[in-house]
Amino acid sequence: MAGQTDMELIKNGIRMDGRKPDELRDVKIVAGVLDNADGSCYLEWGNNKIYAGVFGPMECHPRHKQKADRAIVQARYTMAPFSVNDRKRPGLDRRSSEISYIVSQAFEKVVMVEEFPKASIRVDMQVVEAHAGTRCAAMTAASVALADAGIPMRDMIPACASGKVNDIVVLDLNKEEDNYGQADLPLAIIPSTGEVVLLQLDGHLTPDEFEQAMDLATSGCMDLYKKMRDALENSYGGKK
Amino acid sequence: MSEESSVKSNRKLVLPGDLMETKSKPGKGIFRSEGRIHSSVVGYSSDRSGYINVNAIAGRYSPKVGDKIIAVCAETGPSIWRMDIGASFNSTLHHSESGWKVPFGDTARFLAIGDAIWAEIFMVDAAGSHQISLKKDDCRKLYSGTIVKVNPTNVPRVIGKQGSMISLIRDNTKTRIQIGQNGYIWIDGEGENIALAQEAIETIDREATSEGLTKKIEKLLEK
Amino acid sequence: MSNDSVSNLMKGHMESLAKEGKRADGRGINEFRKVKIETGMINTAEGSSMVHLGKTKVLCGIKMLIGTPYGDSPGSGTMTTSTELAPLADQSFDPGPPREQSIELSRVVDRGIRESRMIDFDGLCIEHGERVWMVYIDLHILDNDGNLFDCCTLAAAAALSNAKIPNVQHGIADKDVKLPVTCWPISCTFGKLGDSVILDATSDEEGVMSARFTVAHDENGNLRAAQKGMNGAFTDAEIREAVKTARASDNVLREALKGIQE
Repeated sequence: MAGQTDMELIKNGIRMDGRKPDELRDVKIVAGVLDNADGSCYLEWGNNKIYAGVFGPMECHPRHKQKADRAIVQARYTMAPFSVNDRKRPGLDRRSSEISYIVSQAFEKVVMVEEFPKASIRVDMQVVEAHAGTRCAAMTAASVALADAGIPMRDMIPACASGKVNDIVVLDLNKEEDNYGQADLPLAIIPSTGEVVLLQLDGHLTPDEFEQAMDLATSGCMDLYKKMRDALENSYGGKK
Repeated sequence: MSEESSVKSNRKLVLPGDLMETKSKPGKGIFRSEGRIHSSVVGYSSDRSGYINVNAIAGRYSPKVGDKIIAVCAETGPSIWRMDIGASFNSTLHHSESGWKVPFGDTARFLAIGDAIWAEIFMVDAAGSHQISLKKDDCRKLYSGTIVKVNPTNVPRVIGKQGSMISLIRDNTKTRIQIGQNGYIWIDGEGENIALAQEAIETIDREATSEGLTKKIEKLLEK
Repeated sequence: MSNDSVSNLMKGHMESLAKEGKRADGRGINEFRKVKIETGMINTAEGSSMVHLGKTKVLCGIKMLIGTPYGDSPGSGTMTTSTELAPLADQSFDPGPPREQSIELSRVVDRGIRESRMIDFDGLCIEHGERVWMVYIDLHILDNDGNLFDCCTLAAAAALSNAKIPNVQHGIADKDVKLPVTCWPISCTFGKLGDSVILDATSDEEGVMSARFTVAHDENGNLRAAQKGMNGAFTDAEIREAVKTARASDNVLREALKGIQE
């Protein structure tokens, strides 16, 4: 978040990419795209491109991470070297580790881990092209992949960010808005209960702006949820 | 706060979290929350005989006592074998359930890594671990043929109504076929016939939900 | 639906089918699976491709950065190949540092591209001894159903053929130009299955084969790179025969690669 900038990211209520403040970028979701993985999803969000794959429940490795009374969710978020303009060296960095960890925590809340003692559910999120909002896109793709794998869950988890640019609260920051804007708030919720399972804030928001940002991100999540459901229904034909 | 998708009774595609409008008792693929019943998986609902179930479309095999399955040896121990049955965990075959007189430490001589058997699930405990037995019915080690794997949820489709689909395949390819509830299927016969039977079964696995499948398989088998 | 344990029955069945020139999926022993190539889908990369070889899927991205040349070749650009065995591609791909499998794969693909002189390294010099273009080939395995060698080599060649030198972004010139590439290396990987030799093995076949042999040819039919892997052996005759077969069979992949050119 650079914060202070003269850059005009929003003019007369229209953003640089033509969107209104409460508009999501184009999202395309396809379930069941990989053959090996137990469940998978390919997601495009603006120019973000993400693959998510799930294996499990299966025996937990390494053994010492096993829990006697439930499964653990081992989520991993990585970005391909060519996913960003300045090539990223292969391997896990601190940002990817942090995202991996909070995503694992979020999924442990909805996945019925009690049904699989000592097991592990492995979730892998690969960002192959990045344009801001990748952690939300990755989590959304992972939710669809988990459902595609037949893993029992209380609900799927859509994730969406809101933020602030030029003092206006907006939904779903693109790359320029993320770099030059004033705040970034990724949010993930459980649609059926409204519970928040992931929330981060980077930047500066007044209490009013925070309320607005929460409302916007939540409505973004619900729009996303519909697309996630459509993707699964399309995958399975929706008829017998 | 959200628009809950409520689903009435039978044979509808449901997603995790969907509210099930029913007075039936919860069965599998279901969870309870605040006095209401929801689906926990992607699957088709089935509301009858007083129970509401959701049959998951995907997922690893979940062992049930009495299921006949095909198992492949993954590991040998001094008095047991650890068997791959396509479930979340490997199953255990204890020497006392093998029907053989196995000297301690000599298990690999009877069943080596990679060997396959036709067996029955005879125990599933509360913690989810399971054991198989070679002593029931026609359970035995398999010596010829090959093994094909399908999604366990497609096993009923491979069998067909009253075995119609599998009989169609068997008769047209002159092969012996045994279908494990775990989705592992044994086919034995002449090389080319096995290949044709395998192709038919894999086609069913790929296109299980599409219409006109029976006709498609009939055509395939005419080759 | 592949799993670690391939049964001995399946092994026996595959070996006897192979003796008759056939495979479990209906192919002949020297037949490639269906191949599909797409290019240019990753906007942040200078070149990109996605290759499907049967169910195996590999995504390749080319990045070009400016750096200093090696001391012993001050007028040449550089090339680095790396492969990521993404955990979502195979249950046995554990996250962690590159394993021998991934390193061997990178090096064999690298050799195939480098030795065929596909890239003109001298053409990548910006300022002799000071600045050159460094080409990074990053292969991302998304789905493993066997024969990563051929799928990766094809993906690398397709991505390079579609790459543009990012002059504008780096202030080198006022126009991006296509990365000049000549000579298309195509690799063919064989496996020893019982007493037979098969081309383009699936994951199941890889689980039972005892040895592996990869050979890359250019479009003039000359060999550019070869590698024998795994701990079994081929006979001398089998190797020579495989090399001949490669030249006959690689047309399928070559045609697919030509198909994506403008």
